[in-house]
Amino acid sequence: MMNKIQNKIRYIIAGFCCLIFLGAITGCSKFLDVNDNPNNPGSSSPDLLLPTTQVSLGIAVGNSLQIYGNVLGQYWTQNPSSSQYKSIEQYAFTNSNFNYPWMFLYGDALVNLQLIINNDNGTDQDQQYVAIAYILKAYGLQLATDAFGDVPNSGALKGTGESSPTYDKQQSIYDSIFKFIEKGKSLMDPNSEYLPGSQDLVFGGDMDKWAAFANTLELRAYMRLSQVDEAKAKAGVAKLFASKAVFLNEDAELQYSTTGGNQNPLYINMVGLGKTQNVVASGTVIKAFKRNNDPRMFALYVKLSGRDTIAYIAQGDYNATEKNADGEDVAKKVSPPSSLVAGNAQDDKSAVAPVLLISASESYFLQAEAAARGWGKGSLTAEALFKKGIEASFDADGIGSSAANYIKTAQDAVFPGKPTDQIKAIITQKYYAMCGSQGFEAWTEWRRTGYPDFFTKSATAQGQDFPLRFLYPNSEVTSNLNYPGTVPMDTPVWWDK
Amino acid sequence: MRKKSFLLFCVSCLCALSTVFGQSIIVHGKVQNEKGEAIAAASVKIKLTNKGALTNDQGEFTLNAEKGKILMISAIGYEQQDIRAEENLVITLKEAEAATAGTDVVVTANAIRREKRTLGYSAPIIKSDELMQGQSTSPLATLAGRVPGVNVTSSTGAPGSSTRVVLRGGSSITGNNQALIVVDGVVMDNSSEIGGGALTAVDFGNRGNDINPDDIASVTVLKGPAAAALYGSRASNGALIYTTKSGSSHKKQEITFSSSNTFSSILKLPDLQNEYGQGYWSNSLDDDGNLISTLDPRENGSWGPAFTGKVQEWGQEVDGKRLTKPYSALPDNIRNFFSTGFVTDNNVSIASGNEKASYYLGLNSTNSNGVYPGDYDTYNKYNVRFNGKAQLSNKFYTSVSFNYNKIHQNQFGGGQGGASVLDNLYQTARDIPIDKMGDLNNKYYGYGYTDANGIPHDDQFGFYGVYTTSPYYILKNYKNNDDVDRISGSFTIGYNPTDWLNIVERVGTDFYSDRRRLIEPKFEFFPIDPGTSGWYSGADVQNSNGSYAENNITVGEVNHDLMITASHEFNSDFSGSLMVGNNIRQRSYTNDYTSTNQSSGLILPGWYNLGNTNGPVYATNETSTKRLVGVYADLNLAYKNMLYLDATARNDWSSTLPKENNSFFYPSVSGSFIFTELMKSSNIMNVLDYGKIRASWAQVGNDADPYLLTTTYQATSISDGFASTQFPFNGTPGLQIGNTIGNPNLKPEITTSYEVGTELSFLHNRLSLDFSYYTNKSKNQILKIPTPYSTGYGYKVVNAGVIRNRGIELSLRGTPIKTDNFSLELYGTYYKNNSMVLSLMDGVDQVQIGGFNDMAIVAAVGHPYGEFYAVTNQTDGKGHTVVNPKNGIPLQTPDAQYLGSYNPDYQASFGGKAQYKNWTLGFLFDTKQGGVFFSRTKDILDFNGTALETGGDRNPQIWPNSVINTGTADQPVYEQNTSAKYVKQNYYGSYIPAGMQVIDGSFVKLRTLSLDYRIPAAALERTPFGSMSIGLYGNNLFIWTPSSNQFVDPEMNSTGSGNEQGFDFSAQPSVRNYGVNIKVTF
Repeated sequence: MMNKIQNKIRYIIAGFCCLIFLGAITGCSKFLDVNDNPNNPGSSSPDLLLPTTQVSLGIAVGNSLQIYGNVLGQYWTQNPSSSQYKSIEQYAFTNSNFNYPWMFLYGDALVNLQLIINNDNGTDQDQQYVAIAYILKAYGLQLATDAFGDVPNSGALKGTGESSPTYDKQQSIYDSIFKFIEKGKSLMDPNSEYLPGSQDLVFGGDMDKWAAFANTLELRAYMRLSQVDEAKAKAGVAKLFASKAVFLNEDAELQYSTTGGNQNPLYINMVGLGKTQNVVASGTVIKAFKRNNDPRMFALYVKLSGRDTIAYIAQGDYNATEKNADGEDVAKKVSPPSSLVAGNAQDDKSAVAPVLLISASESYFLQAEAAARGWGKGSLTAEALFKKGIEASFDADGIGSSAANYIKTAQDAVFPGKPTDQIKAIITQKYYAMCGSQGFEAWTEWRRTGYPDFFTKSATAQGQDFPLRFLYPNSEVTSNLNYPGTVPMDTPVWWDK
Repeated sequence: MRKKSFLLFCVSCLCALSTVFGQSIIVHGKVQNEKGEAIAAASVKIKLTNKGALTNDQGEFTLNAEKGKILMISAIGYEQQDIRAEENLVITLKEAEAATAGTDVVVTANAIRREKRTLGYSAPIIKSDELMQGQSTSPLATLAGRVPGVNVTSSTGAPGSSTRVVLRGGSSITGNNQALIVVDGVVMDNSSEIGGGALTAVDFGNRGNDINPDDIASVTVLKGPAAAALYGSRASNGALIYTTKSGSSHKKQEITFSSSNTFSSILKLPDLQNEYGQGYWSNSLDDDGNLISTLDPRENGSWGPAFTGKVQEWGQEVDGKRLTKPYSALPDNIRNFFSTGFVTDNNVSIASGNEKASYYLGLNSTNSNGVYPGDYDTYNKYNVRFNGKAQLSNKFYTSVSFNYNKIHQNQFGGGQGGASVLDNLYQTARDIPIDKMGDLNNKYYGYGYTDANGIPHDDQFGFYGVYTTSPYYILKNYKNNDDVDRISGSFTIGYNPTDWLNIVERVGTDFYSDRRRLIEPKFEFFPIDPGTSGWYSGADVQNSNGSYAENNITVGEVNHDLMITASHEFNSDFSGSLMVGNNIRQRSYTNDYTSTNQSSGLILPGWYNLGNTNGPVYATNETSTKRLVGVYADLNLAYKNMLYLDATARNDWSSTLPKENNSFFYPSVSGSFIFTELMKSSNIMNVLDYGKIRASWAQVGNDADPYLLTTTYQATSISDGFASTQFPFNGTPGLQIGNTIGNPNLKPEITTSYEVGTELSFLHNRLSLDFSYYTNKSKNQILKIPTPYSTGYGYKVVNAGVIRNRGIELSLRGTPIKTDNFSLELYGTYYKNNSMVLSLMDGVDQVQIGGFNDMAIVAAVGHPYGEFYAVTNQTDGKGHTVVNPKNGIPLQTPDAQYLGSYNPDYQASFGGKAQYKNWTLGFLFDTKQGGVFFSRTKDILDFNGTALETGGDRNPQIWPNSVINTGTADQPVYEQNTSAKYVKQNYYGSYIPAGMQVIDGSFVKLRTLSLDYRIPAAALERTPFGSMSIGLYGNNLFIWTPSSNQFVDPEMNSTGSGNEQGFDFSAQPSVRNYGVNIKVTF
């Protein structure tokens, strides 16, 4: 009897055990349904992505490219009393030096532009965002290919869809750039009732200005092909002028404030480095300014106390000798760039320096070159456009009233008669206009045209040739199965003939 | 919640049934030797079952048993005795000539007590007296050298600093590799959240060190997944099972008081040159080809002229005058900067009880002031532990444990930059009396001063250096305050409805908040010097925007286990038990970080509040919840005290995996065979007392971190590594796609392990040996693999990668001398683990797990885990360095090279205990050989020209044993270098590659040394004391390193207890601790 009861109890207990486990399992699925990320949203909209892409491009142009461009463009050189950029002056490039510009372009700007394009469902609300996204994608892609040569494009920005994007030839990337610009222009509608407004940090949603930006970008891109494929460049420019294209007559820029985290990206970088003044005036540009008695140098650089001129050292001569070529005692005491171009670490006004995507003066010089080459012409002559470029540059530097005198007296402001000399004059003036603010574009145009013709090898280059491209970043070297191999920094890119 | 109440309901239903059963009694017993002294840790076991108990320090035990059942009582060094169960027992064991080995009781998974002989895996146990030998304040650091298979890395050894414990090499590529910590059956969070920025780490310690060592009764090391299968996922790296002290059920109340006072001093400082003072060489040579160096009083570097001993001016001109001193070396200026640290550690414990209930109450305070001068680096910890148990009725018993920690500390950042004391201290020239410059009110040493006319200048500084900040200023003005409050505990109710059935329900929780307030001052100082000295100028400004940040972290964990165990005796030889259980667990985590504006900092200096932000406040917050439900079963079979088989199975459902993959099953099997049982009549038994072989196979599944399945957007924030741009951007909101591509098809990770081993005991148990060979292989690792940014993303979450660890563990223990008055016990361990990354993902050769810019710590295919990867000096393959023919400086390798792993080739230890009458001497040496580490301390001392290797002849010289490549890069032709001369300042100041800062991390340490005197009982007869002992002790006392390491203790580490090890990024120096303690009982 006792045994039977015990057996029964055993069954009951076994039954309860089963119930407990069943309860545990059936309750499971709801209990475990806690994996929706509460910290981050799963979707976004183009109006929130657009400002991100613009600011990202601003950081690409205004931070990494600005430092490399202004040093390689010989506006700035390493300060003898600091050390951050010695490797640039030594032309000692390593892959990892270029991680950030690549990341800003692909990982911040282009991917979010691509998401605006991918998420386009054809509604009117999105169209103007998509139009701008195509234009900015063309702009970002041109930065990437001008800096690195062949880069991923057709297979890029697809996430796990293509984990190792292949590298496209620069030639085909330029084809894509033209295609994206045309696509963007075709979607633009200045009369749309859904304009981006204040979410567009560059033009406030003014699609006419975006059209001018697109045309100027197209002109810049065709002009870049002048040495490698003159016929294509000429035809493209001619077509652009034939369409009565309107070009930029104001700076396409991003504006910054003194608000922490919203300052000029170069200044923010210097603050992060403890406000160390890492760059100072390079003799290459200062000597040219001095030859032309150019007042812009006082806007773009800061006089040292007790001196009435800009103190400089030769490019890369940070190990400085006690005196520079002019016999000035400069060891460790050289003029820094001014806050106008965000290059002065100690001057808080650097925070509000704009980043120029395309400047008004650049637009005029591009049109001047088109006219000088006889490829396309609007209402103004090459010479008139050349002068407008100089004036726009003086305006941007806040000394517009001095332009007339400079144009009258400076040897480099003379517009020569011979077309080849005209191109030299235009590019050289464009070089002066871009001093400190568009270093990367100036270095790129030097690579294309060879102007200005007074660059000097860095004093610490140790026999190496001028760098002519960036190296692919380390992240590509180590994680892209289709990595094409590192191209040496002194190998020219395709359009650089 | 609904489910939990359902479970409780089931339990109560079972309670209702309880009255049906009967005959069970509570046995209270005491085990003693023939002298009447208590025998601790004796095993009491009900014959032919798995039920049993372990005696406490007073020799007492409590056990539920049916009246009349046979209890088997055994202890090391004594003969086993069987006795019938009664309510009150006093058992006297005879000292054995040949005592039985293998009868130790170990606490295994889920607080299950098992006899060691039954285990099919290695599970060494360390008792309180060994743990307390060096009086370390870390319950983890104290494991170093005690058992093989355990790799303990103690960072600084100061109270509150991080300690990493890895068993058998760890199993994960980027995930956690540390052992799971379990206290009284409840999992304890062991997070290590390093404070500060990427290059300025602040070590706030890891939470596993919160356990008070004095409360610990024993710790069992479950090294492999076989041992820990029942803990599931988290135990794939093994587990440390801590058992805390409990009350005595049989005796008067006992109060124990112990107090330790410990002094700390720096264990190892870099060797420095004493030939050259502050200044630099600027490229010019005299007519003899010797350097012309410049003495620059602003310099932190020691690249100046050779010392002359001549008295001359130095530093800034203040009020028309500069200081003077002889131009000569100050050999101890760095060493004397540090002061002696002091730790006082006080413990009171009360243990009491009767037949029905008992409790243990432990109170602890640890107050430490570290080795930096002043009382800035402080660590204060307070701890209360209560363990109680009670017998509710004949069938029910309960226990409650509760622990509360309070920690208040202020720590300093290492690394580079203005907030690092060490970085600024080490950049002091060899002739600067930095150790005597602590008075910040001295106008030559401080910041802000009042001039001769009584006019204050808050924006001027008198400190000599312009490239460094006074370390005293940093100590005074930078703060990394941290407050931790932690409550953990568990509630257990057990029910024995009948003799063969046991039901236990346990609910445990562990909750803490970790609140940090991080302060950097805002300042802008110009030199006082008017510039007449020709050196200082307005450009030598020192400034900081300052910042104030609050970082609040909370972790909450709830764990429930229900375990039902049935045991059965099939016949007199064969018995078994089956346990089934259910585990439900939840972990919630929040991390809020709020700071003043990240680029503009503070508005007003000295006001540390978020209201003082210059621009928008920066804030991020993160919250996550993870849940897991598991069911498990454990089958034990025993045959004739000789053959044991143990099989476990577990299935988990995790919230962090996709629904279709969220269920995963993993089994384990282990067995042990006591082969000496077959040889009982053989003569071999005269030599070999006990022999066991064991084998196991196990799998453990592991789930993912929360929220890895999807790709999400986030508020835009773009960093360039130095500063970041934040949205809203001038009022405009913005979102960006996240950097990591989620994986909706994630699968669980699986670790598989095999182990074989043996335990042997010889010569009447005077010598014992334990040996294991194991291999662990983890696959389907959940990794964040870097993707090329051209995909638009930086990382993707994948299942990939196989990592394997293979190794042997050997421990030997012997008692060469044993007389009435004197005994000597010696032990040694040897442990060798070979880790190897077998694969990652197609096309991915390595994953970075740490490091910075030029120096990476990676998991690379075909290499051990934790390999250093950096550019280094080129060689010709025959040991000659290839130099640049132009400047004589070594050329760098074109690519990064694999330079060795931070994991040692092998570890060993040697320890012992000698007892003479009432005196006990204990010691322990341990060593790690063959690992390497990266030393930024070396880097900065080289750069600065203070390292010993930068001394000697500094004139242009030929690199020893160097060659020049006269061929091409592809087809090199090496010729001996006879002409190209390099200059040390050029090499050490600019050209030395990161790979040359990776150095041999081998060391031998005297880990602990102690001498205790126990006052004889007779002397205490008329005092209120039951016992009293005093002792001298030390831990981390001495270190021996190879001659190539002239720099630091290789154990120090900048990034706490994470996977990034061997990384001295100007980390805090390690300390030696020594002191005196007293322990009395009332």
